[in-house]
Order: sequence, then structure tokens, then C-alpha cells
Amino acid sequence: MQQELMWGLPVVLYLFLAGVGAGALTVSASIFLRGGDVARGLHVDTARYGAFLAPVPIMIGCGLLVFELGSFETGHWFKWLNLYKVINLSPMSIGTWLLSVTVVVSVVYAYTFLRDAPGLPNEMRYPLRRKLSWLAVPLGIATAVYTGILLGAMPSRPFWNSPIVALLFLVSALSTGIAGTLLIRALFHASNPDPETGKNFSRSGYLLTAADVLLIGFELMIIFLFIMYAHLTIGSVKEAVSVILFGGDLAPLFWLGVVVIGLLIPALVESIYIVPKLLYHRDFSVPRGVEVVVPAVILVGGFMLRYVVVVAGQITGPVGI
Amino acid sequence: MSDKKANAAVSRRKFIAAAGGTAALGASAAAAPRAARAAGTAHKPHYGMLIDLRRCIGCHACSVSCKAEFDVPLGATRSWVEYIEKGDYPDVSRQFLPRLCNHCSKPQCVDVCPTGATWKREEDGIVVVDADICIGCKYCILACPYDARFTNPITGTADKCDFCQHRVSQGLVPSCVNACIGEARIFGDLNDPQSEISKLIARNPVTVLRQEMGTEPNVFYIDADHTDPNGATNNGQYVRVDTHRQHAERR
Ligand code: SF4
Ligand code: SF4
Ligand code: SF4
Repeated sequence: MQQELMWGLPVVLYLFLAGVGAGALTVSASIFLRGGDVARGLHVDTARYGAFLAPVPIMIGCGLLVFELGSFETGHWFKWLNLYKVINLSPMSIGTWLLSVTVVVSVVYAYTFLRDAPGLPNEMRYPLRRKLSWLAVPLGIATAVYTGILLGAMPSRPFWNSPIVALLFLVSALSTGIAGTLLIRALFHASNPDPETGKNFSRSGYLLTAADVLLIGFELMIIFLFIMYAHLTIGSVKEAVSVILFGGDLAPLFWLGVVVIGLLIPALVESIYIVPKLLYHRDFSVPRGVEVVVPAVILVGGFMLRYVVVVAGQITGPVGI
Repeated sequence: MSDKKANAAVSRRKFIAAAGGTAALGASAAAAPRAARAAGTAHKPHYGMLIDLRRCIGCHACSVSCKAEFDVPLGATRSWVEYIEKGDYPDVSRQFLPRLCNHCSKPQCVDVCPTGATWKREEDGIVVVDADICIGCKYCILACPYDARFTNPITGTADKCDFCQHRVSQGLVPSCVNACIGEARIFGDLNDPQSEISKLIARNPVTVLRQEMGTEPNVFYIDADHTDPNGATNNGQYVRVDTHRQHAERR
């Protein structure tokens, strides 16, 4: 790649991490709400892992973004606060405010999952958690979509300039959000929970894994449509997309890293575990090793997707002058 | 050729005299066209540039004077001159394409700026960057279809051609226009039909760069070669573009 990148690894990581956090937030709040209208719902234990996870990557991602700023690099440490002096129609401006609200909501939401949270008696904690869940679902979706709109807003970058990038990032955020939640759960849950908790765990695990397979299928469809439409058109978009098609600079990383390793293989492995329950109503159980490795691979795939998209958009441009 | 005559008539001395006096192109109120003043409406200039490539010899005087005017840091360029070589011997050509910010009427760079640090000025149409506000997020640099912007390594902010607003507001022409030995760069008020630039644009076939981007550039070219290695005009022949910038390729 001959060109210097304006947006490098910090931005790639930020788009990925914000996606994971936003996805985890949406997923946690949705399964919590789906768990039944009781204080301790069916999926509450899994929702808790998602709730604790969500704010962390979002905040790390935002922090990384500050490092990438030219003003920060030249020693104007707090100039980024200028972002908070205005609000305009720039996707980055709207995104800044949206992310800030999402961070606050996700932190308070996570707090409501703390057992014996100081200053928050249970009779306040449960209704607050429920209310915040209703906020967390749309905020997580909006944050994930915004990461795509940020890139999509520019006709000067034909690879990014389509509505489907935002959709791709949304679906990938939900899928990596699930993966993050499942990974944290696999790493931290007790190996011998009591039978009732164990059953709920398996139910939530099945729900999330099955949802993830659907999401990955959807993601593959979006990628197919993206490439097909780009290929059927002529001019700048076709030229731009050729960097991920055979012979392009980013083709190996895209096809092997994103499509095969990041999407196809995890979806296949996940299907192996959900099909017996889906078709024959067997118990859903996944060995701990698989519980860890599959989500980890999905996360790596999600990172590579952001990497390929961010780099491809910058090394390509409009054709002609 | 009538346009050549007209072009020769815009001597710099005349330009400055006119701006300092009453009539044409300065930014001060005194420079508003007589008609507008008579009608009692404030004339707002809208600055633009016309680059007549029949007069350009690719000497880089504009790039150098621009660098000197602003102490543009090493490796960065507000203005640069591209060379376009094409064809196979003996059927070859070499064309020049001086480049700068187009001060677009629909500037994408402005649309994406999250801090309001860059805007198109109401009073004269110049697209400016306020380094005191800009946080250096580089969004505008990616959004500009002309690669006209760069990060100033000293200030850490977005930087680009500002049509020499400090000179123009004093009734002077931009530094690159001043330095151009062929008088290929013509600067002036597009809102004034009597300005030299408006007359030349009216009398000649002109083009802008990447028109399909919809940015409505205000830098016009006469006789520009729009050949690009990736473009539709290269006709399958050998094309080499030398950008004379840090990035060897157009983007
Ligand atoms: S050329 Fe680029 S930087 Fe200049 S006004 Fe147009 S979009 Fe903005
Ligand atoms: S780099 Fe500066 S001028 Fe450009 S979009 Fe960011 S804040 Fe605005
Ligand atoms: S108008 Fe001024 S800033 Fe712009 S290219 Fe010419 S000399 Fe440089």
C-alpha cells in the first residue's frame, strides 16, 4: 500500500471496539427484557455479563480515538473537548454526543446489575434496570449504525459511500457483541452452577448462539450484495471494490480473514451445536474450550472486517480527475 | 485571440490599482462594483480562480511562492503542479495541472467537520480552517475529493489553500497568482460579471476537476488534460502522473 493512511489502527480499533460494546449493550438489554417481566428474568445472568462488558470497549475505543487526533499528537491534550462545544450535522458530531450518552447509560445500566450496589436499594434497582434496558437497545443500535455512517458520508471515498456499510457494521456489531458476551461468560462463569442457574445458562447460550448464526448469515448476505452491486456498476465504485476481489491488495485478508475465518467457520461450528437442539430438542451444551475459541475467532473476524473496510476506503478514490 | 488580449490586460499593477481605488476586485467595501453600490445593495464577492493551461509552463513558481508565503511545513503542499505524461514515442505529450483547494460551493469538507472549524465564508466564498478550533480529526481530509487538505505537522490541524485571504483582504492578488510568470493563474470575483475572471470564463470553454463529485468547484481550468491512469480518458495508453507531492499518487 503506497498511501499514507489518514485513519490508522486507532480508528480501526475504535470502530471495532465501539461495535462490540454497542452490540453487547443491545444484546444484553434485549435478552434481559426477553427474560420475562420479573426482577430476576430467565436470562439475567447472561445479561449481566453483557452489561458489565459493554461500557469497557466503548470507552477504550473512544480513548484510542483521541490518540489519533492531530491536535493530541502535537501536544494539545484537551483540544478534543471542542467536540462538545457544538452540535452539527457532521456524523462525527452526532456520533460524539451519541457515544457520550451511550457510555453514561451503559455505565449506569451495568451498575444496576451489581449485587448490593451501594446507594441503590433493590426496590429502585430493578425498575431502573428495566427502564434503562429500553434505552440501551436503541442506543446500542444507533451507536453501531453510526460507526458505519461515519465512513459512509463521503462521496470522495467510493468504497465507503453506500448505505450498506452501516448495515454491515450494525450486524457485525451485534454478532461481535454476542461473541464478546459469550466469551466473558465462558471465562468467568462457575464450572458447577446450581441446576436451575445451569439450565438458564444453557438456555441463554442457545438463544445467543442461534441468534449469532442468523446474524452471520445476514452478514454474509450483505457482503454478497455489496460486492455484487459494486461489481455490476461501473466507474469509481467498481474500481474501489476491486481491492478486495481476486488480485486486489486486500483480497487475501478479506476472503481468508473476514469471510472464512471470521464468518464461515464460526457459523459452521455454532451450527453443529445448535442443530441437535433445534431439530431434536436435545440439550444444548458446548464444551468450555469451544465456548472460548469460537467467540474469540468471531471477534478477530470483526476486527479484520473493520481493518479491511477502513484501509480499502482510504487506498481507493474516485477515478479520473 | 481575444481571450489572450484580455488576459494580458490584467496586469498585476492594474489589479492592485483598481482594488486600491474604486472599482473591481478587492474585498473592502470600496471595491464593490459601482452598480451594486448605486443600487444600495452590498456587493458580496465570490472569489474564484481560473488557470489557463495554454499559458502554464510547469515551472512550480506558484507552489514555491505558496510555500514561502505560508511557511508550509516540509512534505506538505497547499498548491502543487502535476505532470501528466502519456503516449508512446513519438506520439507523446506532457501536460501540467496546477492544483489547489477549489473553494467549492458545496464543500464536502465543511459538511463533515464535527467542530465547525472549517466553513465557507459568507462574505467572499473562501473556504477557511480555524486552527484554534480544529482538533485534527482528519475527517475533512478524507472527505475532500481533491486531496486538497493535509494535517499540518506543527499545529496538528487541518490545513490547505485559503486563497491567500490575508493578501486578498488587502487588495492584493494571491501569492501564487503574483508569482506565475505566464499569468496562467487569474484570480477574481465570480459574482462580478465585469471581472476579468468572469469574462474569461464566459468566453472560453472551461472545466473543473471531478465535476461528478457535485462539489461545484470555483477553480476553473482552460485546456486542462483530465487524463488519469484510472480514468476514462486514458484510452488504454501509457499514462504517468507525477504529482510532485509526498503522496506519489492522486487520490
Ligand atoms: S477542494 Fe476540498 S478542501 Fe477545498 S473546498 Fe472543495 S472539498 Fe473542501
Ligand atoms: S480536521 Fe479539523 S477542520 Fe477537519 S473535520 Fe476535523 S476538526 Fe474539522
Ligand atoms: S491562493 Fe495562496 S494559499 Fe492558495 S495556492 Fe495560491 S498561494 Fe497558496
